[in-house]
Amino acid sequence: MMSHSKLAEIFNKDEAKVNWHDKALWYVREKRDTAAHHVKGWEYLRDLASGIKANVLSNLDNYLVEFEKNAQSNGIEVHWASNAEEHNKIVYKILTQNNATKVVKSKSMLTEECHLNPYLESKGIEVIDTDLGERIVQLAKEPPSHIVLPAIHKTKEEIDVLFQEHLGTKPSNGDPQYLTNEARKHLRDKFLNADVALTGVNFAIAETGGFVVCTNEGNADMGVHLSKVHIACMGIEKIIPREEHLGVFLRLLARSATGQPITTYSSHFNKPAPGNAIHIVIVDNGRTEQLSREDFRSSLSCIRCGACMNTCPIYRRSGGFSYNATIPGPIGSILSPGMDMKKHSSLPFASTLCGSCSNVCPVKINIHEQLYKWRQIITKEQKQPLIKKTILKITGMVLGRPKLYAVLGISVRWMLKYAPRFMVYSKLNAWGKSREFPKVENGNFDQWYKNRKNNG
Amino acid sequence: MGKSSILKSIKENKPTLISLPEIDVNSFEETINLVETFKKNVESVGGNIKELGQIQDLDLEIKNRYPNAKRIFSQISESVLGNVQISEQTKPKDLENLDLAILKGVFGVAENGAIWISDEQFSIRILPFITNDLVLILQKKDLCQHMHHAYKMIANRTRTFGLFISGPSKTADIEQCLVIGAQGAMSLTIFLI
Ligand code: SF4
Repeated sequence: MMSHSKLAEIFNKDEAKVNWHDKALWYVREKRDTAAHHVKGWEYLRDLASGIKANVLSNLDNYLVEFEKNAQSNGIEVHWASNAEEHNKIVYKILTQNNATKVVKSKSMLTEECHLNPYLESKGIEVIDTDLGERIVQLAKEPPSHIVLPAIHKTKEEIDVLFQEHLGTKPSNGDPQYLTNEARKHLRDKFLNADVALTGVNFAIAETGGFVVCTNEGNADMGVHLSKVHIACMGIEKIIPREEHLGVFLRLLARSATGQPITTYSSHFNKPAPGNAIHIVIVDNGRTEQLSREDFRSSLSCIRCGACMNTCPIYRRSGGFSYNATIPGPIGSILSPGMDMKKHSSLPFASTLCGSCSNVCPVKINIHEQLYKWRQIITKEQKQPLIKKTILKITGMVLGRPKLYAVLGISVRWMLKYAPRFMVYSKLNAWGKSREFPKVENGNFDQWYKNRKNNG
Repeated sequence: MGKSSILKSIKENKPTLISLPEIDVNSFEETINLVETFKKNVESVGGNIKELGQIQDLDLEIKNRYPNAKRIFSQISESVLGNVQISEQTKPKDLENLDLAILKGVFGVAENGAIWISDEQFSIRILPFITNDLVLILQKKDLCQHMHHAYKMIANRTRTFGLFISGPSKTADIEQCLVIGAQGAMSLTIFLI
């Protein structure tokens, strides 16, 4: 099992690409800031979202039962899966019951987590990912490297070559308009011939038994409304109590994700179309275990906006694949050790604990504090030298670049001397001696470091 | 056994009940020009928007904007451009080559340029997605400020299928370059009456 730092080294071989990746994500982060500043009561919205999710986790069983009852009374079939294997089997069973061999799927991190595609493919089912970014990585036989921007690690030239090979496109030097249009034609054909459409669920409403799916491309709806059968897969934590709560979450989600005021399509499914069927698969797969961990429970409030990735200095410079987990970045580094601590033991160290993730999180998860808590647990259970080596590598690799020193105002020697101590044991103000942690509204990492430098 | 074991595990592991916050909508109220804000946001999400003095101008405007549209579905009695019929026998795939759909929007949301439409406006769910271009007609009086109002406005609807639609389909999955026209409609034009 390769550690985060080893994998990050691989990503860092192409420095131009890393710089581009870094800037592109920071740009998305800035768009998020602008969008947030245009909303009156933004901080109150975040408080509400956080409070609603906290209530959900404390009453989850009742909400799930209420949701099931209401969904069923609207003609939706509800299935429950304790783990990935059960989830995959349920989906496959629905497919066989409908004699389906062709499936179109819109974005769903849960089905990634369950490795549904390889499972279905081994049974002879064709599964086509229909989000453009997901289709790109599917053709490249890669997983997504970001939960909202699945192909952010790919250059347009790479996509050009990929499309030439798989879709028979002409060389275009990576013209995004041309490539997107070719993908549209290719996917049209897949939509028109699919037997079953699979989607994720952004929010499931206990009060109504309905659910909402958000996309910009319209790919979820194209799949669903052209097929007879719609299978929607959701983790147990996707529940919200009342429909009016969508007002809170839809205002936060797209602004936090890409800086848009809302996604292009926010589709509300309550009843199947006449003659069609909707199935919902509700999945645990380790979530109730995470619920039991008081310190990490709130990580289940995540609405998968990706803001913590876009803002994270380590993520931006190490890439999604360096985390080797379904959900990369800061939130993934809290969720993954909960699934498999040994495999993911290096992830909580892939952070500077700068707190920028917690500052942008629309549901106010204390991400960096949870990372710190995982470190304490992992440090206790694993050999020290390994941990120290890991930290040194991360520090050296991600922060150890001449241009960054200037920004960071620190020396490699300083880092090597103090980094292990800081990264394992520090509270937030460890960069200073006993000063208060600088208060950074929607914390800008560079600015924070700049201030640090100025303040000595 | 999925359901019972999941529910049991939640019961054992959940924290004590934390109360559900009430949404204080007053915190979000602003005095804004609804029409202007809506227009600005529609444009920012890649949509076209035009105010029409009178609905009689509608067909002329549509013809100007979509001169090549041949197969057109219209749900608006004021437009005579529709030449595609949708009946109970129509299959979603039959609309594969639809050039233009003209539908009524129920109401618009100023803060994000979104318009609510539901299967009451389009008898076949694939319609607003599969059509090459989409025109929505909206009454100026049917605008609300933000999503909290929006959910109040649809609270008593018959719940089947409906959506907020904000601009044309789009993607930025290739090097973050925004491309309008992904898998759904290639353009969205809103006529405000
Ligand atoms: S943890 Fe917060 S910021 Fe990160 S993806 Fe989840 S909701 Fe977004």
